[in-house]
Amino acid sequence: MAIIETADLRKVFRSVKRRPGVGGAIAALFSREYEEKAAVDGITMSLEAGELVGYLGPNGAGKSTTIKMLTGILVPTSGSISVADLVPHRQRLENAQNIGVVFGQRSQLYWDLPLRESFALLRSIYDVPRERFRENLDHFIEILDLDEFMDTPVRQLSLGERMRGDFAAAMLHDPKIVYLDEPTIGLDVVAKEAIREFITQLNRERGTTIILTTHDLADIERLARRVILIDDGTIIFDGPISRLREEYGTHRTLVITLADSYEDVQVEGADLESREGNVVRLRFDRRRTSAEALIRRAMERYALSDIAIVEPDIDSIVRRIYREGYTEGAIGSPS
Amino acid sequence: MKRLKAMARAYREYWRINVLTTLEYRENFLMWFAFTIVYHGTALGALWVVLTAFPSMNGWTFRDMAFLYGLWMLAHAVNNTFFSEIGNIPDHVHEGEFDRLLVRPLDTLFQLIATPGQTFPDELILAVSYFAAATWYSGVHVGVLFLIFVPLIALGGALIDLGINLIVGTLAFWFVRVDALQWIVAQLEQEFTRYPVSIYSRSVRLLLTFAFPFAFMNYYPAAFFLNKPENALALPPAVGLLTPLIGLAFVSVAYAFWRFGLNRYQGVGH
Repeated sequence: MAIIETADLRKVFRSVKRRPGVGGAIAALFSREYEEKAAVDGITMSLEAGELVGYLGPNGAGKSTTIKMLTGILVPTSGSISVADLVPHRQRLENAQNIGVVFGQRSQLYWDLPLRESFALLRSIYDVPRERFRENLDHFIEILDLDEFMDTPVRQLSLGERMRGDFAAAMLHDPKIVYLDEPTIGLDVVAKEAIREFITQLNRERGTTIILTTHDLADIERLARRVILIDDGTIIFDGPISRLREEYGTHRTLVITLADSYEDVQVEGADLESREGNVVRLRFDRRRTSAEALIRRAMERYALSDIAIVEPDIDSIVRRIYREGYTEGAIGSPS
Repeated sequence: MKRLKAMARAYREYWRINVLTTLEYRENFLMWFAFTIVYHGTALGALWVVLTAFPSMNGWTFRDMAFLYGLWMLAHAVNNTFFSEIGNIPDHVHEGEFDRLLVRPLDTLFQLIATPGQTFPDELILAVSYFAAATWYSGVHVGVLFLIFVPLIALGGALIDLGINLIVGTLAFWFVRVDALQWIVAQLEQEFTRYPVSIYSRSVRLLLTFAFPFAFMNYYPAAFFLNKPENALALPPAVGLLTPLIGLAFVSVAYAFWRFGLNRYQGVGH
């Protein structure tokens, strides 16, 4: 049973055409030209309850517009949405009770007051029964380590601490669906890890459906089994990460460390990617050249002290798709 | 019913947060308080100066005007205490905070009204004290009618204030920033509530009665309580008691406009 379903969802914005500079701005006071742009242009997707999906796309691809429609903030231009059997923009308040939203760049905590006060306010906003609230709060205090700063004004918290507070704040009413918009932005490695661990637990133990938009692909790699990639308002890929990797990540990198110094390093079947001193990186297409053959050839020619094969990370795969576009199957074929 | 109870609880909680936040910055609060006293003191001082030069203005003495001012101050203080956040709608829209209100399960306008705007009942306490003094000073007869109607008139007047602020705030859905208009409206309100409306031209009187009913915040009720023989538009004196109804009607119009603007916001973003 799908918990989130959209069919041919579209959102068209009409905006003033901007001309550059002060001169342009003054000219725009007197005459305006408008342009229409479909920020979301026919998105059809379906999410099962309990899924954790990474929603990816370059800036301006339509990610946040989609999220705004799913949360009921924006009314679609056309198409249909159903979130937990509700139409978000028509049943906005009921829908709000079902969802939790974390905007990484924007806190919902009260700046001048301790976390405790914001949580108490949220309890009444969402009308959470007292016992349930206490259980949840205790649980979140424990797994997010909130104890030491529960009574510190939020303005004095570090970004990582504030973010943990924001996560707890968004989950106190047991939302069925959680939208996370850039939840790890600006955090250090330790704080990122704490947040990722929390997201995993939330999904696994409470069965919360999670949609995650992020630019940090390590988040996706670590958390999501499924990714939806959008560009220019349309879905260009929807499937498991492994498939993305398989179809797109056809290239591997062989990293060899030379035991002697050689002038010019060349191995048949691979292109030189980079070289730093004795460490040489060679890129090859795994469908045309087997790693084994390549290593054998390299060893015949050069004395090596180390060998490694590097798989492409999701980051470079996605970057390539943004750059070159996605075409099923045809990706990575030799040109 | 369950929903209303939840809203009442949330409202209480908002106020608790509000008071806590205000007290967090004690010095700032004390400065505001001192400013409020100076502000109203100066306004009354200016009136006194004007009225020592002209002993009366269209039959209104300084004592009458002190009462007129007190009635406005009372209504305005109710608005500033309970509905102040409405004036910040443009900031919410401008900074994108407005989306947060839309993903919570309570009416958006209710959340705005209830949101901590760092208000404290200080202005209200001041206004009530001043009003009591002005009533005594002006020699208005304090009877049952007075005691029943004054609170309602203060509330009605506050609703007129709220309505104006809501209409101006709603315009932010189109223009994002409306601070110029907010400033103009605040200045006009001050200007037109300080003196008896009868001193203005007929078109201004009509405007202040029917379009932007500021005259109902203090002029008509004051004219009624002070037994002024005729008012600005030769309406029966009892119109002065209509303020609560006018306030409700005006705020309903403003609310309809707000709904319209909110739909637009959800339709086009900003």
